[in-house]
Amino acid sequence: MILTVLRILYLRLRNNPLELVLVFVMPVIFFSIFAAIFSNGISSGSDKKLRVGWVTTPSTRLATELREFLDSNSSLECSSLPALDPAESTAAAGLDGEAVSAQISRAQQSGKYDLIVKLPAKFPETLSNTVANSACTVSLVSDGQNPMAVAMVTSIINGFFTQKQAAFVGQQMMQLQEGRRDISRGTPRARVPGMESQSDRQPPASDGPVVAAMPEPSAVFTEIGEGPDFLPIQDDFTPFSGNVSLADPETVESHATATLRTNSQTEGAFRVIVETPQADTQENPRIAMYAAGIAVLFLLFSATGHAASLLDEAESGTLDRILVSQAGLFQILCGKWLGIFIMGCLQITIMFLWAEAVFHIHLGKHFAGFCIMTTSTAAATASFAMCLATICKSRSQLNAVSVVLILSMSAVGGSMIPRFVMSDRMKEIGKWSFNAWALDGYQKVFWFQSQPSSLRKEVTVLLGSALVLGLVTFLLSGRWKRG
Amino acid sequence: MTEENTATGTPILTLDNVRKTYRKRDALQGISLQLFPGELLGLFGPNGAGKTTMIRCISGLLKPDSGTITRHSLSTSSVAESNVRLGLVPQNLAIYPDLTVLQNLEVFGRLEGVTRRVLKERIKEVLEWAALSDRIHSLARTLSGGMQRRLNIACSVLHRPQILLLDEPTVGVDPQSRERIYSMLEELTSQGSALLLTTHQLDEVETRCDRIVVMDHGLIVAQGTLAELVQLTVGCPHRVTLRFDLPCKWRLPRFAFDQPRTSATCMMQSMQELPVVLAVLQKIDQQPSHIDVRSLGLQDVFLELTGRSLRE
Repeated sequence: MILTVLRILYLRLRNNPLELVLVFVMPVIFFSIFAAIFSNGISSGSDKKLRVGWVTTPSTRLATELREFLDSNSSLECSSLPALDPAESTAAAGLDGEAVSAQISRAQQSGKYDLIVKLPAKFPETLSNTVANSACTVSLVSDGQNPMAVAMVTSIINGFFTQKQAAFVGQQMMQLQEGRRDISRGTPRARVPGMESQSDRQPPASDGPVVAAMPEPSAVFTEIGEGPDFLPIQDDFTPFSGNVSLADPETVESHATATLRTNSQTEGAFRVIVETPQADTQENPRIAMYAAGIAVLFLLFSATGHAASLLDEAESGTLDRILVSQAGLFQILCGKWLGIFIMGCLQITIMFLWAEAVFHIHLGKHFAGFCIMTTSTAAATASFAMCLATICKSRSQLNAVSVVLILSMSAVGGSMIPRFVMSDRMKEIGKWSFNAWALDGYQKVFWFQSQPSSLRKEVTVLLGSALVLGLVTFLLSGRWKRG
Repeated sequence: MTEENTATGTPILTLDNVRKTYRKRDALQGISLQLFPGELLGLFGPNGAGKTTMIRCISGLLKPDSGTITRHSLSTSSVAESNVRLGLVPQNLAIYPDLTVLQNLEVFGRLEGVTRRVLKERIKEVLEWAALSDRIHSLARTLSGGMQRRLNIACSVLHRPQILLLDEPTVGVDPQSRERIYSMLEELTSQGSALLLTTHQLDEVETRCDRIVVMDHGLIVAQGTLAELVQLTVGCPHRVTLRFDLPCKWRLPRFAFDQPRTSATCMMQSMQELPVVLAVLQKIDQQPSHIDVRSLGLQDVFLELTGRSLRE
């Protein structure tokens, strides 16, 4: 008897290819998707590099060397940000100008950069200048999506300055030795081209004994060589120390700055500042992304569930009865679509209202953008669900197809895994899903705090999809009449 | 439920040489028939005969490849043909199981274009008509099979259709519910509605339908009243079988004997012929030990017309 029951199970499975797909093929598909995201399988066979953008062309020797240093790092992919428009260039009096901020903002929104390096207008020519002049400040502008990038690039820049300072100290030591030899010989100290020291900036009266202006070797070692400045990363600030939290970009900023600032001697040499403009004015923007991701995933499922009522009605004959009534096919489809659309809008709104109440995502501040994205997303998912229901011949078929499609779309589209951890290729593939466009839109609204006008592309794609799928639904819906 | 239509000699629905090829099969091969107001027409045929295709064509769900289907307006006012109200009762329970009885009636009434004010009154009437007044707030899925069937029909009559198409409306219901359903249908016909009913229940067609249409292979193979069909197919309505203990030594006119002549069968036009035959047999001392009289019905007509081979 047990064998007979087992045989029934086997026969039913064998006679239902879709169930077979769900049971055996789906796990493989999902494994492949996740493997592709987290491995090199889809990302063109090479390790994913951190994409570092330069906000301006290096104008000084030190800046050029820093750029070359970063360029030569195999884990980084450096490129300059797209040039400013002439009008913007005029407006940009300095690098801290609004035009530059706009340029950075645009670059961040493009999603092509993990981090942007911004150097001040008066970046020193050499590292030695920084001792007497203002600090050599390197600003890293992050959108907060990839805290690992911040930690890594900070570490690399620290390494650069460490090398430069080590070279500087070495030269100073050489000069000291030469100076002492010169003193003993009674000749002035030889100058090393390109290498300045504090003594070079002494007043003209320095014609006197050079040794008087030179720091004692012990002072140099104490002041520079043995100082914590030379440690690329503090013990408590490593990319893997746990202080760099993936979920809290502000921590990265404050911690990086604080760590570097706590050392008074660093201020005389160099400083790395991490800026996260998006985190300055909002409390929990990342939560909005999670809310959107989960909302879109469930929206797709619930929309498909509602659209499946068409198949139920067709199977029970209710659809025939309605078609014979005063309501035409177009009205039926419109009514169903509208119902799914309204349900979708409500579903997303409830999700965001909860996020606002509990996590303070500033829904009111971004209300216009939220409305635009929510209606666009709900429209697209409603058409998608209606189209699926029209194509599928039975509810069980729809269930199987929708599970495969929706989970795949959600996996590559960013509802399950943040899109910033994906390779570029994977991100491109993700663009074939509603999730990716919806999440990009919500990201612009809540994370980048963009104006609703910046959502043109996302809205066009989502509404365009809604229109095309709606049209396909209508064209294929003739089958309801044909029976 | 009052209705302006009354039984007249003018058909309310006419099908003229309707053809339909469906899924590479000739589902309808030139169907012509008429349906009259106040008539209950039984559409009868084996599976795959084309009954459902015909109903779908009449209801407008399918467009015939050729031929015409005309709904005639009987109203004295100039009502367009397309305004002849039509209702469909699908074979399955075409109601929303997760809505209450009242909610089902409301939504289907609205879909039929009945205004809210009128609908309220119609629902009240229909609930009484379908004997569902005490269950108006029950979810449809909690009703018994018979109640669900009655609700299924009730949802189709809220707009008072002049033509009602019923596709096996009594499948799976107990005799009491079936009786109630036919009472409901009779009420409709008495009010002038024309009903086209498909069913496999022979007794229903025999006893309830005014006229019967037998379909096979997409064709109407016979139509008329039961008596007409019997006459048309098997000739006489009664079959008399006489059994003898010993082989009969006599030849009896019109009787067919088997071998070894212990059984004889005769088709009779009227049962009044039987006493005459029995008197003759008594006279010749050949009295039968057993007499079997069977009135021929639709089953015989049907098998005569469509054969005994299985379909589909």
